[in-house]
Amino acid sequence: MPEAITTQGGVERLAIGDGEIAILSGGEGPPLLFLHGGGGAGEWQAAHALLAASHRVIAPDHPGFGESDELPEVEGVDDLVYHYLEVMDRLGLERPAIVGHSFGGWLAAEIAVHSPERVGALVLLSPVGLRIPEHPITDVFFVPPPEIPAMIFHDPSKLPAPDGPPDPDVLLAIYRDSTALARYTWSPFMANPKLERRLHRVKAPTLVVWAESDRVVPREHAERYAQLIPGARLQTIPECGHALHLELPDEVAAMVGAFLADSAAVAR
Amino acid sequence: MKFTYFHLMPYAGLPDDFEKRFSSPSLTYPNGFFDPQLGVELYHRYLDELEYADELGFDGIAVNEHHQSAYGLMPSPNLMAAALARRTSNARLMVLGNAIGIRGNPLRVAEEIAMLDHLSRGRVVSGFVRGIGWEYFAHSVNPTRSRARFEEAHDLIIKAWTTREPFQWVSPNYEFRYVNVWPRPLQQPHPPIYIPGAGSTETMRWVAQHQYSYMSVYAPSTLTKRWFDGYRTASEEAGIDPDPEKIVFSVPLYVAETDELAHAQARGPVEWLFHKGLKQGFEIIFPPGYMTPGSMRGMLSSGFAGFENMTYEDLLREHIVIAGSPDTVGETLERLRDQLGFGAMNVLMCIGDMPHEHVISSMDLFAAKVMPALR
Repeated sequence: MPEAITTQGGVERLAIGDGEIAILSGGEGPPLLFLHGGGGAGEWQAAHALLAASHRVIAPDHPGFGESDELPEVEGVDDLVYHYLEVMDRLGLERPAIVGHSFGGWLAAEIAVHSPERVGALVLLSPVGLRIPEHPITDVFFVPPPEIPAMIFHDPSKLPAPDGPPDPDVLLAIYRDSTALARYTWSPFMANPKLERRLHRVKAPTLVVWAESDRVVPREHAERYAQLIPGARLQTIPECGHALHLELPDEVAAMVGAFLADSAAVAR
Repeated sequence: MKFTYFHLMPYAGLPDDFEKRFSSPSLTYPNGFFDPQLGVELYHRYLDELEYADELGFDGIAVNEHHQSAYGLMPSPNLMAAALARRTSNARLMVLGNAIGIRGNPLRVAEEIAMLDHLSRGRVVSGFVRGIGWEYFAHSVNPTRSRARFEEAHDLIIKAWTTREPFQWVSPNYEFRYVNVWPRPLQQPHPPIYIPGAGSTETMRWVAQHQYSYMSVYAPSTLTKRWFDGYRTASEEAGIDPDPEKIVFSVPLYVAETDELAHAQARGPVEWLFHKGLKQGFEIIFPPGYMTPGSMRGMLSSGFAGFENMTYEDLLREHIVIAGSPDTVGETLERLRDQLGFGAMNVLMCIGDMPHEHVISSMDLFAAKVMPALR
């Protein structure tokens, strides 16, 4: 029996492995599993709400991120693939659309390579995961905190300016998310060197989206994904940074929504 | 009181406006700025200073490990200890320490320390450290595994030193099917162990339970007192009466004939050490997972804003640095000893870009006029 997750933008907790994970969800319609990147855990974002107009959006926090426990048995991306296959089983998601941003895009691609029959449609938003030494991904762990807004937004003035010194609890939460990301991606850095030669296994209709002002993931990564996943389409968004669905939620949700509507293979 | 003469072997050739032009001397400062001729001079000069400390009667002479940095030129502390082993005769040879968590193969450390123990006829003290944050970038070692790797590497090295037949080692981060280290160390069961601590409760408890020496890092003395109290409490909880000589106060220290002269000569080098040598952003000191959430919370709530914004006067007031005439330094150390309760000191006397002759005169004054009264 699938476990019900029905709250509009509400948080449910799912006991799994040695702990619990938090899952945000909302909307009705075909299921859409949204996998966040290094940032963005624990937030029901504008893009989620827009996609929830036509889909049942399920947005879990990865283990160790946001409100999810760190699960000792989940040490790497390979473990996360099994983690999400179990989450999908537990939630009754037979062939959901999977939309992943950045690190979440890499995860989505790994799931689609491992179990091609479990993915109804695949959307990779500025995904990491490929090792292209001549076009390295920015070392996000090495960027001084004050420079992060300019790294992830085309127009960082859209981000709210900090009022006063940062709250220690907020800093600790950021450090925790960053720790979880490092646990999975420090070395090999942001990539599975074997992923590239496995991408031909993907069966789902696939859209790769790249932001034209992405200062984290070079364009060649999106191109390589689109080239190696059979039938994949590449679209770009101008005047947009790496945090693309945070910077331009309307445009990104419209692009993803149109692709999923077009796609004949949207999940049952 | 025991005295160790500690050296960082700084690269003294940084430009005067270094802190305006570069974000840190570590990891990113291009090695094109390294002048090999100066390198030769510095290594020999610094080894001379360590050898002289042995002559002056310091109980220990100490080296440490840093990588890809002008802050310290000892990527291999064991090499420096080897260079000292046959040219010194009395002082303990202290490697403070090997960064065992970032080594690919910790058994190499077990082997080298055992060799040094023989070369020095049993004078080696083996420090183990996790390595500074930036070194996890420099070695591509995952900082979220830092603690686990450190503890596993420690357990493996101790077992390799104390087991008298081949064994197999399997732990989450290391697997060795054959461990059979030749030579075994001379000191039995193994050389004394030093561990630096910066306030983490986990570390204090671990060091106390193993009855190792607990060494402070540069910090305000109010903070150091809290750490030493924590170590004593952890020892008592483990049912151990802590030996004061295992509580080690680390401090940069300068002595001249008068207070005025001492401050005039120490100011520049102290500013070099704390403003140039230790200039580093949050992201390279605290890579993700290097700190536990508890330690990070403690650090954020301590109000300690880093060395960058501290003046020479601030550093003196907080006893992060000690400088003055022999009387002033002696009185300050007696007071601190009584307040903090340490029985050993780890003094850094070659501070930053300090000229050799100042280092030597400071060592002479300290050995002749400060050490005897404190012993």
